[in-house]
Amino acid sequence: MVRVTMTRTRRQRDIRIAYLLLAPAVLLLLGVLAYPLGWEVWTSFTSLSPLQDGATAFVGLENYRRQFHDPQFWSAAAVTLVYTVVTSVAKLALGLGFALLLARPFPGRTLVFLAIFLPWAYPASVSVIGWYWTLNPPIPTAYAAFMGSVKYNVDSVAGGGAWAFISVALFNIWRGSSFIGVLLLAGINAIPPELFEYALLESKSPWRRFRAVTLPLLAPFLALGVFLSLTGAFADLANVWTLTAGRIVFPVLSTQAYWLAIHGGQFGPASALSLMLVPLLLGALLVLFRLFDGPEREPS
Amino acid sequence: MNPQPWRARLGRLTLILMATVFCVFPIYFMLVQSLKTAQEDVFGNPLIVRNPTLENFEDLFERKGSARGFVGSVLRRSYPFLDWLGNTLVVFTGAVALTLTLSVAAAYGLGRLRPPGFRWWRRVIFAAYIIPQTILFVPLYQVVNALGLDDNLLALMLIYPSMALPFCIWMLSAYFQHLPREIEEAAFIEGAGRAGAFFRIILPMSRPVLVAAGIFTLGTIASDLTIASLFLLSGQNQTIPAGIGTMEVALDELAAVAGINLLAIPVIAISALFARGYVRGLTAAMLEGS
Repeated sequence: MVRVTMTRTRRQRDIRIAYLLLAPAVLLLLGVLAYPLGWEVWTSFTSLSPLQDGATAFVGLENYRRQFHDPQFWSAAAVTLVYTVVTSVAKLALGLGFALLLARPFPGRTLVFLAIFLPWAYPASVSVIGWYWTLNPPIPTAYAAFMGSVKYNVDSVAGGGAWAFISVALFNIWRGSSFIGVLLLAGINAIPPELFEYALLESKSPWRRFRAVTLPLLAPFLALGVFLSLTGAFADLANVWTLTAGRIVFPVLSTQAYWLAIHGGQFGPASALSLMLVPLLLGALLVLFRLFDGPEREPS
Repeated sequence: MNPQPWRARLGRLTLILMATVFCVFPIYFMLVQSLKTAQEDVFGNPLIVRNPTLENFEDLFERKGSARGFVGSVLRRSYPFLDWLGNTLVVFTGAVALTLTLSVAAAYGLGRLRPPGFRWWRRVIFAAYIIPQTILFVPLYQVVNALGLDDNLLALMLIYPSMALPFCIWMLSAYFQHLPREIEEAAFIEGAGRAGAFFRIILPMSRPVLVAAGIFTLGTIASDLTIASLFLLSGQNQTIPAGIGTMEVALDELAAVAGINLLAIPVIAISALFARGYVRGLTAAMLEGS
């Protein structure tokens, strides 16, 4: 009886300590994110604008409703969808390829591993500057004529600004595939080698071995990669947007929101627009959690 | 296993070569440009450098306020690059240290002490990634102003951890959660408390996972340009990304590329040094998960 009470009080104390340890991180996240998120949600229901005189009115769902009747919204949504799908698929495919290449030993593997690690390790804040200005050179350099003609040809087929957009998408793929490649390599390393040996006895077809052993065991890492790729897909566009003061001509939802907020002063619609993706991302996250943070058996 | 047929080996080798070139070429290209003179930049071969020079790097360290010559009739101004370098060092070190401290504490609490619903705590924290960053800077600016941190490096040191904390807490707590109980019990028997067991046993053995969290944090905060440009306005207070973002690319393309490399070299060196630990840490964090 005494023992039971003792373990219970110890458990109570452990729980208190746990909350105490959790508090600083949660407070920082709340301090940085909670007020801004609340502001954004509230603003999306109002007509807040720094350009307007008079009081801010509560307009309910008007800002959302207006988006759905705006053809610009639908074109931005379409670009967002295509951009996200194309970059995510490319990142996953390349990343998986990198990881599978690195999974088996060969001479010089360490160097190739470092080479594949580099695009992510290279600070994106500055590599995106170099990348963007190299593919869209501002002045006569030795490669400017070549890049200029590429830009001209792409833009004349796909519309003005297409090349600038594509160059950012390429950057996102270049850097993201490096991150996912290393993440998946870590995943392959977590698979016990005996499983591969066993699979080798079971099936001669590499494709079937991949489907039956590698892919299911990599699923948590793939899920994590997909999610981080979804949420990180727009950071590079935002960076270039900052860099060029809005020269991206193909708007995605987030750059469209920037545009509305900064050039139009329409904070209400801009907030509504940037919140549109939240339900979709939340849904994706809840599905993916089952793969990479599922409940497990061990009670310990 | 039989030796692979030569055709399969050749195919593999080609793929490895292609992957390496794909990953390294853009970086090589930027490095080459930064070593060029202005003449060679315009008239030379873009892929190689014949007369490598460090003058672009030296340009960055010219004294403040001194003019660096003309392009056409436009004065090329100099930049307080040394200040930028110092600021970057302070912000990156501070943000990584803060992130690691907070995430280790929170992850130990969640993964080891397991308060009720700890898995949901972890998931809710991880879900912070779905908050759209788009126009978050408007209210964020109000928060920073209210704290009196306008144009202050401390603002970045508080904002940056919020970008890496959710992932680090999730990874570290998954790792702590899967450590077998016996590991601590040995220390308890010797009379150590929870804190003693943590510092003497758990923390040292978590080194790879801590490295992974640190490298992830560094990579994440080093990728930010938007927040740094928005919150650090005066020239002396900027970090390297924010500063390079303000450079006149048309006039100072070569100096800008040199600045890019100067930030990249230390970050890459640190990442390369810990690259293997990074992979090992990610593996360790997920090994028994799912």
